[in-house]
Amino acid sequence: MRGPDPDVVRLPSQSGATLCLLGNRCSQCGTVAFPKLPVCPRCGRNETMEEVEIGRTGRLYSHTIAYVAPAGFRAPFFQAFIDLPEGPRIFSLIGSECPVECGALEDGMLMRLVVEPVADTPEQGQKLTYKYVPQDPNNGAPA
Amino acid sequence: MRAVAIIGVGSHPTGRFHDRPLKALAYPAIWGALEDAGVTPADIGVAYVGNSLAGLLTGQEGVRGQVVLQHSGLNGLPIVNVENACASAATALRGAWLEVASGAVDVALAVGVEKMNVGDSARTIGALSAVSELDLSEMGMQFTASYAIHPKVNLKSRMRDYGWTAADFAKPAVKNSFNGSLNPLAQHQRRLTIEEVVQSRIVVDPLTLLMCSSISDGAAAAVLCAAELAPRFTSKTPIRIASCVLQSGVYRLPGDARPDSATTSAFAAYEKAGVSPEDLQAIELHDAMAPAELMLYERLGLCAEGEGPRLIDERVTTLDGRVPVNPSGGLCSRGHPVGATGLLQICELVWQMRGEAGTRQIVPRPHVTMAQNQGGLLLGQDSAAYAVTILTD
Repeated sequence: MRGPDPDVVRLPSQSGATLCLLGNRCSQCGTVAFPKLPVCPRCGRNETMEEVEIGRTGRLYSHTIAYVAPAGFRAPFFQAFIDLPEGPRIFSLIGSECPVECGALEDGMLMRLVVEPVADTPEQGQKLTYKYVPQDPNNGAPA
Repeated sequence: MRAVAIIGVGSHPTGRFHDRPLKALAYPAIWGALEDAGVTPADIGVAYVGNSLAGLLTGQEGVRGQVVLQHSGLNGLPIVNVENACASAATALRGAWLEVASGAVDVALAVGVEKMNVGDSARTIGALSAVSELDLSEMGMQFTASYAIHPKVNLKSRMRDYGWTAADFAKPAVKNSFNGSLNPLAQHQRRLTIEEVVQSRIVVDPLTLLMCSSISDGAAAAVLCAAELAPRFTSKTPIRIASCVLQSGVYRLPGDARPDSATTSAFAAYEKAGVSPEDLQAIELHDAMAPAELMLYERLGLCAEGEGPRLIDERVTTLDGRVPVNPSGGLCSRGHPVGATGLLQICELVWQMRGEAGTRQIVPRPHVTMAQNQGGLLLGQDSAAYAVTILTD
């Protein structure tokens, strides 16, 4: 198993640190970027960005089901954008514990960060990445 | 800067040409443009060649321009290879325009060519996904989703906020299929109905197959010269490049109040050309997915936010309307060989402005037209490249 990139995802540690993403925040204007940027995307200052732990949870901004997949991925699969409380709106796949069906997700619902293989395929199955799943699996799911 | 005119255009038909490599697709487009312009290879001072996917799909990673031009008998001249995703051909046009406008050369050639049918559609879709920033494509972003749920084109919020329906999303595809049915060079020449489009299989919800441009091979070319030299080569109406704008996307954060980049690039083109949206008499725009045409109506200043479907309902943008949009059939019907599309748009506008568009000729002949071409996707919530060209006669 490879990854995830230690510059993007901080895995849980024995000292009690919990899973999170690594972004960076501008010390001058407070803007948070993910993935990390060397230059602040809002105020344009150089060398003001400082690493910050983000994304333990987020809110689902938008989502859909793709029925056609690029090579290395298996359709159908969810595509989503997640609003992180720290500011960034990021693209993410949805973790495999969430069934790929209409009604499993609802825009605005609270999401939780997980780490799992990029896709369940020979090409991507050995590579870990971050994804999100509903915080409360019953919220928004059909009864 | 001197005035620049397009004096010749040519294109290869768009569609599925399994046995035809890149250079064989480019050849009829290049010679079509040379003969249309009345020039010979010796007259060409410089050539810009746009292509996006041949590295991944055919293995021709470098020197694609030199390969296709030498095959067509153009040797020794300066050749610049251009990659700018689905805006590659418009970017090639801009390079050729600047060369002539600056006085560096008198005559320049712009070519766009793409070979997408390689017998494995998953590989082609993978290559298309790779024109997004690698962080996105490696995460599994399916590029079609950028036309469905991306913050810049969130169709579900359109359904919620303006009551748009699947039938609304289908309207541009149906309108453009009629135009495509009159275009012998188009990939799809069958007229579609709203029901057919809505009921075709879902690709990325709510986009159905017939709302999406399909995998396509094709090529297009244009010959540009200093406007005052045009009569030396041809008696046809020279088509002036009134403005040619290229922008890259900007890094957007949620709540970004700045106008969309499609808007800023279009309005920069209006300003440089000294025209306004009401002056346009024909538009070729980037409807890679049919509903994108509705969003672009707003962003080009043709209507207020949410009013896109009305422009088709009221026949403003149909072939017989006040400002016909995508008379060629657009990306969904004419076809979208990605690195050729920007120049396929220019070919159509030149034919329309000269009155050479056959049964799909806009009447009266348009005098002010726009080509809008964009491509790629960045992590910063925006497309990578926006190219807008305004033509006048």
